[in-house]
Amino acid sequence: MKLWLTNFSIRLPWLVAGLTLLAVVLFGAQFPKVHFDNDPENMLSADEPVRIYHHQIKELYDLYDFVIVGISNETDPDGIFNPGTLGRIYDLTGALLSLQPTEKGLVKVHFPGVDGQTPRDEVLDLTPQGAWQRGLNKAFMVDPNRLFTEDGQSAIIGRELIGPSVVDNLKQAELGALKLEYLMEQPPKNREEALQIRDDALGNPLYYGTLVAEDGKAISLYIPIREKTFSYNVANLVRHLTAEWDGEDEVHITGLPVAEDTFGIEMLVQMATSAPLAMLVIFILLLFFFRRISIVIAPMLVAITSVICTMGLLIGLGYDVHIMSSMIAIFLMPIAVADSVHVISEFYDRYHLYNNKRDALRHVIGHLFKPMLFTSLTTMAGFGSLIFTPIPPVRIFGAHIAFGVGLAWLLTMTLVPAYIMLAISEKSLQKLQHSDQEQVRPQSWLTRFLEGLGGFSFERRRLIMLVTLVLVAISAVGISKIEVNDNPVKWFAADHEIRKADAVLNKHFGGTYTAYLTLEGEGRSAFDPARATTLLKSRAREELGTLWPQRSSKFLTALDSLGKAPDAGSFNQQLQQIAARFDAQVLGGWQWLGDEVSYLDPQGLTRATLESQLQSLAAAPQAEIGQLVGELKEQGAGEQLLDAALARIDKRLANGFGAFAGRQLAAFDAPLFKQPEVLRYVEKLQQFLAEDETVGKSTSAVDALKKASYELQYRSDQNDERNRERYAVPGSVPAVAQVFTQLEGMKKKDALFHLVTRDYQKANLWVQLKSGDNKDMEKVVADVERFFIANPPPVPMKHAWAGLTYLNVVWQDKMVTGMLASLGSSFVVVLVMMIVLFRSLLFGLLAMIPLSVTITLIYGMIGLAGKDYDMPVAILSAMTLGLSVDFAIHFLERARQLQQQLGSWQRAATEMFKEPATAISRNAIIISIGFTPLLVAPLVPYNTVGFFIAAIMAVSWLATLFLLPALLTSLQKWAFPNDRSGKGDA
Amino acid sequence: MKTILLILTLFLPFAAQATDVEQIIEKANLASYYAGNDGRADVRMTIYDAKGGTRERQFTVLRLNSRNANQKFYVYFREPADVRKMAYLVWKKVGGDDDRWLWLPALNLKKRIAPGDKRTSFVGSDFLYEDISGRGPDEDNHQLVSENNDSWMIKNSPKDPDSVEFSYYMVWIDKQTYLPLKAEYYDKSDKLYRRVSAVKIETIDGYPTVLEAVAEDLNSGSKTVNSFSRVKYDIGLKKRIFTERFLRRPPREVRQ
Repeated sequence: MKLWLTNFSIRLPWLVAGLTLLAVVLFGAQFPKVHFDNDPENMLSADEPVRIYHHQIKELYDLYDFVIVGISNETDPDGIFNPGTLGRIYDLTGALLSLQPTEKGLVKVHFPGVDGQTPRDEVLDLTPQGAWQRGLNKAFMVDPNRLFTEDGQSAIIGRELIGPSVVDNLKQAELGALKLEYLMEQPPKNREEALQIRDDALGNPLYYGTLVAEDGKAISLYIPIREKTFSYNVANLVRHLTAEWDGEDEVHITGLPVAEDTFGIEMLVQMATSAPLAMLVIFILLLFFFRRISIVIAPMLVAITSVICTMGLLIGLGYDVHIMSSMIAIFLMPIAVADSVHVISEFYDRYHLYNNKRDALRHVIGHLFKPMLFTSLTTMAGFGSLIFTPIPPVRIFGAHIAFGVGLAWLLTMTLVPAYIMLAISEKSLQKLQHSDQEQVRPQSWLTRFLEGLGGFSFERRRLIMLVTLVLVAISAVGISKIEVNDNPVKWFAADHEIRKADAVLNKHFGGTYTAYLTLEGEGRSAFDPARATTLLKSRAREELGTLWPQRSSKFLTALDSLGKAPDAGSFNQQLQQIAARFDAQVLGGWQWLGDEVSYLDPQGLTRATLESQLQSLAAAPQAEIGQLVGELKEQGAGEQLLDAALARIDKRLANGFGAFAGRQLAAFDAPLFKQPEVLRYVEKLQQFLAEDETVGKSTSAVDALKKASYELQYRSDQNDERNRERYAVPGSVPAVAQVFTQLEGMKKKDALFHLVTRDYQKANLWVQLKSGDNKDMEKVVADVERFFIANPPPVPMKHAWAGLTYLNVVWQDKMVTGMLASLGSSFVVVLVMMIVLFRSLLFGLLAMIPLSVTITLIYGMIGLAGKDYDMPVAILSAMTLGLSVDFAIHFLERARQLQQQLGSWQRAATEMFKEPATAISRNAIIISIGFTPLLVAPLVPYNTVGFFIAAIMAVSWLATLFLLPALLTSLQKWAFPNDRSGKGDA
Repeated sequence: MKTILLILTLFLPFAAQATDVEQIIEKANLASYYAGNDGRADVRMTIYDAKGGTRERQFTVLRLNSRNANQKFYVYFREPADVRKMAYLVWKKVGGDDDRWLWLPALNLKKRIAPGDKRTSFVGSDFLYEDISGRGPDEDNHQLVSENNDSWMIKNSPKDPDSVEFSYYMVWIDKQTYLPLKAEYYDKSDKLYRRVSAVKIETIDGYPTVLEAVAEDLNSGSKTVNSFSRVKYDIGLKKRIFTERFLRRPPREVRQ
């Protein structure tokens, strides 16, 4: 039965070869359909609530993903605020806003021109110069000139760009006027103008730490892009446009979308280089061990066929090649090689016993069948368990590797024998043996070394077990120190441009990592006239009680009728009517005066003519006219007199019931974020965030409101202190609403609505973090929770997070818990398989020991070294399980066979360290060295995988060869109850 | 914006033979912005955002023509309740910077607004200040592109292209009333991005008047509809109303 496949292949090798070729062609034909997906957001499934919420928030507040371009100048004494640099930024901004596609698929930009230059158009071709880069772009379908949507819209959403020449600024101008313009309306012509721009920018809480660095040395442009996938090309465009800039200006490009998109592209490059390189290294190693290209080709064929078929399957099934799936080739290659290396290795060692390919093959496959089947099954179980993680790309990755491993096993059973039958002649094999026997066998150093090792592990078993226990204990400490953390920017090597840009910009600014904290009312209560009346009355008592001691109590009684108002509208209307009635009684004369006086012609107006003109009108209130005229002595004439008269009238009316009612307008049904107490709560939340060291800056509608309120009310005739008091949330709902209305009509329309919804019911805090580390984001989230508990909001409110930085935290959480679950479940599955394989509980448990020790030591090492538990590290657990159990299976299976053959474990153990240990060692060396090309990749996850695979191989190899014999010896009474070697052998 | 002025517009019965493009533009300017000596209108402004949300504002506009084609406007807000009594005063000066004042009653605040870009949003709507007070005919070059029985189609290109965000705009002018029926703005990539149209025109007090105007921002997907009611011309507004003094205490003419 177990030889059925092999016999079939030995009999019909051409058929096997033909079928394999057909499979390669069929699966390979899927490759052109490939579609790449660089978006780590897809780590979460599309219907994940947090992802849906993130998109709702982006839509609700018109938020876009940004490419952040930081421009710094550390040399100029004025930093970035010198006319030259600002001019270049102005020109660059203009160019970025003007992208147009040309018919040839290139990019046309328009430079507005600064410093007397004439505006000019330029056609750019962003295709790289180097042939290698061009080739890669072609292979991965990357078109650097792709800066437009299919209907020709620019990738950059111009109206949402944030840069000094396109953001609003409110400032004081001559004659106490308020000026409303862009921060850098025109490029500055001289130092003075440049410094004015600096002062304006640093005086605006919306801009410092965001748009301009507080040290004045850097400016950031936030370029909103239609799709995240444009970010690499937009970054490239900016690099192109700034290539010839003055050496003093440094340009740094960052932001999560750029990091993620760049990673995606570099990952493809890695896929195209690392995988073939790994294959080459494996090939050379095999050649070193087996010395015959013709032999070595077999495992290579198995590996290549498995990789092509697996990737073909992935593409054919319509899955995108994602960050995870790009690693399939690299993971699969060494695993696929493993089985066939066992076959080849043993075939090579045993051929001389048979001098016949068929018999040698039958012998080799005959006793390798079971261990190979089980090692493949366990590897499949390890990776297959990833199907149970909640992360779609990881599921796809796991399932496809499992498929590839299964296929590699099938190919080892069929293609390898078929290949040996077809491509290797008996003669060459005999010659090989012959020549080998004449000289010292080249790898005998390995054999000798292993035999020595065998003696050691046999005799020093207590020491070995003790050392293992100590190591496991140390590792347990390490594991307890493991910090779960990831940061897509840190996927780049420390000297990568993106990492450098990230460091520079986070030094100068509030942070390049964006999260959104959203606030909204909870269970919006309907307008409650009774409650509003109570509140209104208490305000009336407070504000009017002393002014109108008697009237106000009547007024309060009159207000009682409002408690039955059917809705807010009529509540307001009735309030105004009641107030007007009371005003008519107590201030009617002054009202009349106010009206009439303002219509008087100031031309030639004197106190006397004022009086006589008023007296001549119908229904003139004598008492008030007399009082007013009496107060107007020495108040001049004409305009001056008129203003003085009006000021006196206004003073009285301001104390009236109507004025009171005016201040309460819309106060009782105001949307949440027009209520002063709610806005002050947001202010408090922001103060709290400002104290959080990870948060560089938070921006809200309250910042805009306070700034506008200050500038609107600024009075040059008052001191700074008085003016600063106005840098605050206005005191009443209508005051807030009226300032907001000014902000709605700013030059950059609707900019306010990134921070608050148009109905002012929901608000969005833009939180900038200095670090994109998930653990830092998690800390901020936890801190904010504490704030809400310690500081209950004035009205019931709920809050939630969105933004890419937060999204990463969510998928990381899922990854960690998912991986633990999948590791746990696959551990159990593998254990059951081992018990079935060995038909022994003891052997089943023994088989699990090397991998358990390996996982413990590897994760202990990660914890002790302070390496974060991130995406690649999480994947490694599945990898370890699948790979390190293989050695144990081979070792235990052979140990059992040998012990049965030889009747004594002691003798068997010596044999174990000859050919079986050699095969295991070759495999360990091939796999660990096969991954070394990953160590030189510029992407950290690849380095991590490369390093840890080597480490896993080394540890599980040691665990298998030291620990298993030591344990078997100690447990031989139970492991080999029929052992005839007697006692006292230790 | 155009619409508000359109309301207040007086159509002067010029000889209908004018085909010279400058003449057409001149007459259109008069028809749109200078009807009567003065005028008033109540405006209901509805701003539709791209997501289907709406915001509504109601205000009253008074307009007075003064010498040299200069004009004065008084804008008094009624709704929403929280901005009631908020007022703007604008002195439009042809060929110069406009003067603007703002009154925020809840802050007891009168503030002068320094002259700035006229192509900015009017109270957050899709209409621009320039739509309200009119763009000077001298600021553009005009070219008659085509005409049919009802209207002329004229292309207007700015004399100073870097001072505005459009590269040109097309305007359709009604041959009977000389009112612009539609204006379409093209950006520097030659893409249509903005449209202002007169949806409903009626003759009031002898002046063809736009009673509903729409401004659409095709980039953001938002649009604003202005509906005009209680339109009157030649009501004898006094110059004195259009002074800072009347910001604090709105004149009877708007309170009615």
